[in-house]
Amino acid sequence: MATATAVVPATAAVAGTPRLNKKKYGGFRPWVFALPALIVYAVFLIYPAFNSLFFSLTDWDGLSPTYNIVGIDNYTAMAKDPVVIQALLNNLIWTVVTIVVPVIVGLALAILLNGKVRAKTPLRLLFYTPCVLPLVSIASIWGWLYNPDFGVINVLLRDIGLGALAQPWLGQDSTALAAVMVPAIWLRVGFPMLLYLAALQGIPAEQYEAATVDGATRAQQLWFITLPSLRPAHYIVIALSLIDSFKVFDMIYAMTYGGPGTATQVMGTWMYANVFQYYQAGYGTAIAVVITVIAIAVSIPYVISQTKEHA
Amino acid sequence: MTASASEIAAVAVLPDAHVTTVDPLPKQRRKGGIVATVILFVVAVFWVSPLLLLVIQAVRPLSDFVAHGPLSWPSQLTWTNFRDAWGIGKFAYTYRNSALLLVLKVPIGVLLSAMLAFALAKLNMRFRRTVMFAVFLGLTIPIYITIVPVFIMLRSAGLTDNILGLVGPYLAFGIPLEVLILQSFFRQLPDSIIESARIDGASDWRIFFTLVLPLSTPALVTVGILDAVATWNEFLFALIVLSSDTNKTIPVGLLSFQGQFSNNSTGLAAGILIAVVPILLAYALLQKWIVGGLTAGAEKG
Repeated sequence: MATATAVVPATAAVAGTPRLNKKKYGGFRPWVFALPALIVYAVFLIYPAFNSLFFSLTDWDGLSPTYNIVGIDNYTAMAKDPVVIQALLNNLIWTVVTIVVPVIVGLALAILLNGKVRAKTPLRLLFYTPCVLPLVSIASIWGWLYNPDFGVINVLLRDIGLGALAQPWLGQDSTALAAVMVPAIWLRVGFPMLLYLAALQGIPAEQYEAATVDGATRAQQLWFITLPSLRPAHYIVIALSLIDSFKVFDMIYAMTYGGPGTATQVMGTWMYANVFQYYQAGYGTAIAVVITVIAIAVSIPYVISQTKEHA
Repeated sequence: MTASASEIAAVAVLPDAHVTTVDPLPKQRRKGGIVATVILFVVAVFWVSPLLLLVIQAVRPLSDFVAHGPLSWPSQLTWTNFRDAWGIGKFAYTYRNSALLLVLKVPIGVLLSAMLAFALAKLNMRFRRTVMFAVFLGLTIPIYITIVPVFIMLRSAGLTDNILGLVGPYLAFGIPLEVLILQSFFRQLPDSIIESARIDGASDWRIFFTLVLPLSTPALVTVGILDAVATWNEFLFALIVLSSDTNKTIPVGLLSFQGQFSNNSTGLAAGILIAVVPILLAYALLQKWIVGGLTAGAEKG
């Protein structure tokens, strides 16, 4: 939208013939401003990403001065690694659950908060609070709530006579993954709520008034006015949540370290374990490459739409 | 940078986002809704009850906790948990390190991003679209693809176990989001102001520092806050790069503290609170900026 004529006011004279109005670029000057950030970005992000791609083709242990190039061996080994399969599956479950549940809960809260409610600002503040906490502290808090002996959840279950349901939530395969997703949901609800709330306030009241006059019920108004109007917000929420959920690492590392066994391994933690614990840097970076490729493939439509939007 | 960083990208995503400090909640003229308000408050209190439970444990002696459990009211109040946690968790160091990192990283990050955003938005840069695409792509790249090469770089530069080593990677991972937000704000500044300054003989630098930046204060503050939260909370790089207790940042320090206090619930609660209370205070004070930045432009959709 920024016009290309910003620095060349003289071209305004030929505005009548835009086809002939060739873009004039700013030459070297823009790069003086652009390069510092681009250099940092290239050195610490682009170059390391490609360097990892190279390491993923080696058998490097991460410590020795030498290594051999082994081609795609690491990638074929991944296909046979049951933990990789499990990690991919866990990533998938994590992605679906930590997007769907927060979006629904956040939308419900936003609709409630947009209704006839007082003290909206403090309510919004409370619901958004978990989002600003460090993931590690959220992991600590929930690790403490889940403690089998004196954790609040089991104590509460025993107090209300459901002691039979008390269990080591994080310590057994059957519940561990669900147990680490609960805090992730807790922390992710606030963001869709805020976005939906802002979007809801942009829907003109006249639309509802007209619908009421026409005899539409509240449910019909929700279905035919509210939800369609929120389409841009859905897109944003889902695109960003998708990008985020592939990056999952902190929460699982801090709560279960991928355990018990490998029950909660995701690609991020399995990569970390391979690089820093098993000294298989080549294999670990191959895992990172795979998840990066998936993350980019899934989110490329979003990046393209952003580039178009802003260019 | 962390999960929250891209959550925050909302601004960016919104078409023609206006970064603004205006609270998106309009003044409510409709009255009523007492019942709904009460119900929502009950739900909200339940929502933050993990934090409230932490406060209750943190101010009681361990013996009281052991005798009465986490769901009882403290029969005795004490500050010793905080004193113990502060010392054993080495919070004096981790606070200093996290604060130092914030002061170093955030201003540099915002300045570099603003410069790039200025070039993209107002200076007719060649390959603008390509550069934008490459930078926005950074939003989607999981940080852990870079850790092995970055770790090697830092080791050869002698910057491991040093918070200075974190500045470069943190800058790189903050740039995509900051550029996205800032350039969409800069584009909305009228070209006529810049043109007339240029006719008056102002250089690009002068225009940038005396026109563009001052006119963009709200966007710069929002970006600075979001960047500060992401920097304060970052975990993976800090975990890998920092090894000695006195060099750790708060998230990494909290993790090792958690290990040591696994059987001391009240001390653990106090330690977690020490780590999060400043963030909660800052959030409460700055929430208008944060919420405004997050939801800017969502109405336009």
